[in-house]
Amino acid sequence: MGYAQRKVANTAAKLAHVSSQHLKALPPKHLSAGSSSGAPPAVFDAHSWAASQPTLRSTLAAFAHRIGLGNVVSSPDVIEQAVTHPSFVQLHTQQHPDQPLPATNASLATLGNSLLGLFATEFVNSSYPHLPTRVLKAAVSAHVGPTTCANLAREMGVTPILRWNRTSSTPTQNAVLHADALASVPRALTALVYQHRSLRSARRFAEKFFFSREVDLRSMVKFRDPKQTLLATVEKFGRERPVSRLLKETGRYSQSPVFVVGIFSGADQLGEGFGSSLKMAEFRAAEDSLLKLYLTRQPPHLLQLPTSTFPDAPGNVFDASGAEETYAPTSLGDSEVLYGSTGRAGVRVPGARSRAAGEDSDLDIYV
Amino acid sequence: MKPRLSLPSPLRFTRSYATRLPERPPARAPDPLRNNPHAVYKDLPENVTFIHRPPPTAPSPLSYTTSPASPLLQPSAAPVDGPLPPTLRKDKGEKPPVSEEDIARIRQLRREDPETWTRGRLAAEFNCTQWFVGKITSLKRADRKKVVAKVEEAHAANRDKWGERKKLQADIRRKRKEFW
Repeated sequence: MGYAQRKVANTAAKLAHVSSQHLKALPPKHLSAGSSSGAPPAVFDAHSWAASQPTLRSTLAAFAHRIGLGNVVSSPDVIEQAVTHPSFVQLHTQQHPDQPLPATNASLATLGNSLLGLFATEFVNSSYPHLPTRVLKAAVSAHVGPTTCANLAREMGVTPILRWNRTSSTPTQNAVLHADALASVPRALTALVYQHRSLRSARRFAEKFFFSREVDLRSMVKFRDPKQTLLATVEKFGRERPVSRLLKETGRYSQSPVFVVGIFSGADQLGEGFGSSLKMAEFRAAEDSLLKLYLTRQPPHLLQLPTSTFPDAPGNVFDASGAEETYAPTSLGDSEVLYGSTGRAGVRVPGARSRAAGEDSDLDIYV
Repeated sequence: MKPRLSLPSPLRFTRSYATRLPERPPARAPDPLRNNPHAVYKDLPENVTFIHRPPPTAPSPLSYTTSPASPLLQPSAAPVDGPLPPTLRKDKGEKPPVSEEDIARIRQLRREDPETWTRGRLAAEFNCTQWFVGKITSLKRADRKKVVAKVEEAHAANRDKWGERKKLQADIRRKRKEFW
């Protein structure tokens, strides 16, 4: 498809879907009645009118069954609440000022966001115990962040039933774009599963939709100075100082040399890397050594998650009662190294200034 | 028995009948497919051999905690068994550790007069490396910015003297480093 066709398709998808059942509401009453003496003539905005029409019960029920929540929620009104963004309220009151305010997914989305953050953090932390904190945060965002939630909503088929209104940013509120409105729906659905079933069911929902997605952790690990980091890491593990050794080379004085360098701690090879110069190969070898450490994964069948200690019985975490799974806590990985020493790092260590002003124990803050 | 020639003594140990080339099995050239020590061979039915020859690319850093790829996660270091590959640079040997009093003196001097007592001068004075001096001391952020700005000014003045070709080469090298 060309760019123009894709743009038309995207714009059409964002417009409201109006079915023939809604034609009974045309023409709107406030237009057909004669305008009062002082009021200005009302203008009929077809797009706003279409967007504010109620969604068909059958569409909502079909959506619920499609994502596996057909027997979980009690009625399609609950689903309608989950797909209604708070920005929709303004549009609804403009079009139907006499009707009650629609229920929105604001609190559901907040609850679901917290739940997803919990599940994602424990999943990534238990799967990769030696991952640095900044990479852990990036991985959590990749699993349950706003972009992923918006993409997941599109895949679920939320676009035609989403009720929202595009608003520009004001001094008090951020702008509401289509992706923001879409992202609120999977969060709200997670919260619905928690409310109608249990925490463990909500975790299964998250595992099915969020943790089955492919996330490339290797591209999230970025180094500023891998040799320095490796030096500090090896010292932390109490091993011998790392030494670079040339494993293989070819074409040293030619136009396209290739060097393979390995970094050794004693007789152990920590990592190897290739490059067109010795420095490049050494840099890559240091990166490979650290990646081998950080990306060590717990096998899925041995994964222990802290939320398994909650019973798999209906009810919220306070009320549910039943058998709890055993949980054996894994030792926390202590592989992370803070860059640099006092004053040079981009990382602020809490209490560093008061300590530095007091005494000369600068070495305590290093690593 | 057939009558044999009687030869002089040094030639007595030769054979007087025509000899043939010794029978050896026919020469077979080495199998050109069996040339990789890392290859895995599996015999399949119908006289087929399946050969898996892994490419000599870098191994993947991914591994499981049950058998970690990083030696840091193995319980203990492997003992040195035989010669190791050559180092990239000459090992100059470690300098003797700096005593506690010297560390305190380095910090005092650096704090008092950072312009006279630079890292290089302190390293030469106390027989350690500039890196070590930087590890145990640091300037306040404002002072550090001043020193860095002065050095950057000197470097920029040098860079202005460069010709087009040199500038291009420096840009190319910087861009290459981004792809390391």
